[in-house]
Amino acid sequence: MRHLTPEEIVDAAEGCADSGLAAHARDCVACRSKIEAVTDAVRLARCDRAAEPSPLVWPHLAARIGEAVRRERIRAPFWKAWGWTLAPAGAVVVLAIAVTIGMWMRPGAPVSGAPARVAEMPAPAFDGPAADLDAADDPSWLLVSTLSAEMSVEDAEASGALPPPGGAERALFHLDEAERLELARLLREELDTRAPAVPQGPGA
Amino acid sequence: MSTRADPWPAGGMQLDWTLSVVPSTQQKSGRDLPLSGLDDRRVVEACLGGRVEAFDVIVERHQRAIYQLCFRFVRRHEDAADLTQEVFLRAYRGLRRFRGDATVATWLYRIGVNVCLNHVTARKMPETPLEDAPALRASGSDPASSLLKEETGARVRAAVARLPRKQRATLILRVYQDLSHREIAQALGTTVGAVKANFFHALGNLKRLLAEEAIEKP
Repeated sequence: MRHLTPEEIVDAAEGCADSGLAAHARDCVACRSKIEAVTDAVRLARCDRAAEPSPLVWPHLAARIGEAVRRERIRAPFWKAWGWTLAPAGAVVVLAIAVTIGMWMRPGAPVSGAPARVAEMPAPAFDGPAADLDAADDPSWLLVSTLSAEMSVEDAEASGALPPPGGAERALFHLDEAERLELARLLREELDTRAPAVPQGPGA
Repeated sequence: MSTRADPWPAGGMQLDWTLSVVPSTQQKSGRDLPLSGLDDRRVVEACLGGRVEAFDVIVERHQRAIYQLCFRFVRRHEDAADLTQEVFLRAYRGLRRFRGDATVATWLYRIGVNVCLNHVTARKMPETPLEDAPALRASGSDPASSLLKEETGARVRAAVARLPRKQRATLILRVYQDLSHREIAQALGTTVGAVKANFFHALGNLKRLLAEEAIEKP
């Protein structure tokens, strides 16, 4: 039979081993020696008896702990007491912020109030050279032109300045009804100005 | 006290609308029972129900065992009292996490072992020279025998302090606190087999350390 494992030796030393293990322990010198070593070590360890404090310690210690517990109760921060009450309100606030940020970050999303402004604004005049003059006079446009003068299309694409593939279609998809109508009107005007004159028929 | 409502019309079904206060309902929540008569779990329930004085009962019942555990680790009465307070404060803070799958005593032992091991890890314990070992209460009539026991006790204490953390905790809980292997497993968050193996190795190391010290300081 195999020798006893450490767990079985502890069981045997404490008199909890089953009959098979106990029989082996009686017959096996090596295992018996280990069991005796464990018993001896326990006896040695028990030589260190803790010095018992005065009986007066216990009521004093209990009172001290009681005071500390009551201080703990008083000092508990308000959010612990109100935590469960405030949690739903906090969740609603976080959700509202997340939704606002999400709408703001959405590609092609209309800026709040933009459709109204678009509707109110007079349609820009695309009158050929006049329109170019207007753009040239715009300081923002000048700044963008100056900064991007030395930039190649590849660099602009790599920097993320250009819309991603399909970005224009996605932006179109996100336009609301008023914006779509406005865009259609602008495109129609542009097409009308660039369309070649319809040849007049001989009978005209 | 009882109140009786108007009966049903004559000839119809009559219901007894007697309302009475049933004492057992209050007993169920433990609100009006003397706390000292409740078992630990009910006392914890009462404490969670808002009776802070219920925690005093827990302290009274277990402070001695927890103090002795702490003293085994730190060997100074002042430190043991501080650590005992810390154990009960942590228990109070975490009372809602007490699941009841172990006894309150085992749960407190678990907190106690963690607090003590953290303490002795953070602070290197002062080595008490054998000649400076505190005198214990004399137990026998023979002074020589008593002195020998005190010396042996001090040597054992020093050797236990040098054991690895888990072995030390296992040995203290088994030999000095008389916990079963199962209770130690619950307190240390391990298995019964691991506890027995730890105990076996702790005893082996204890004997080896004592033998080494005997050679160094004959």
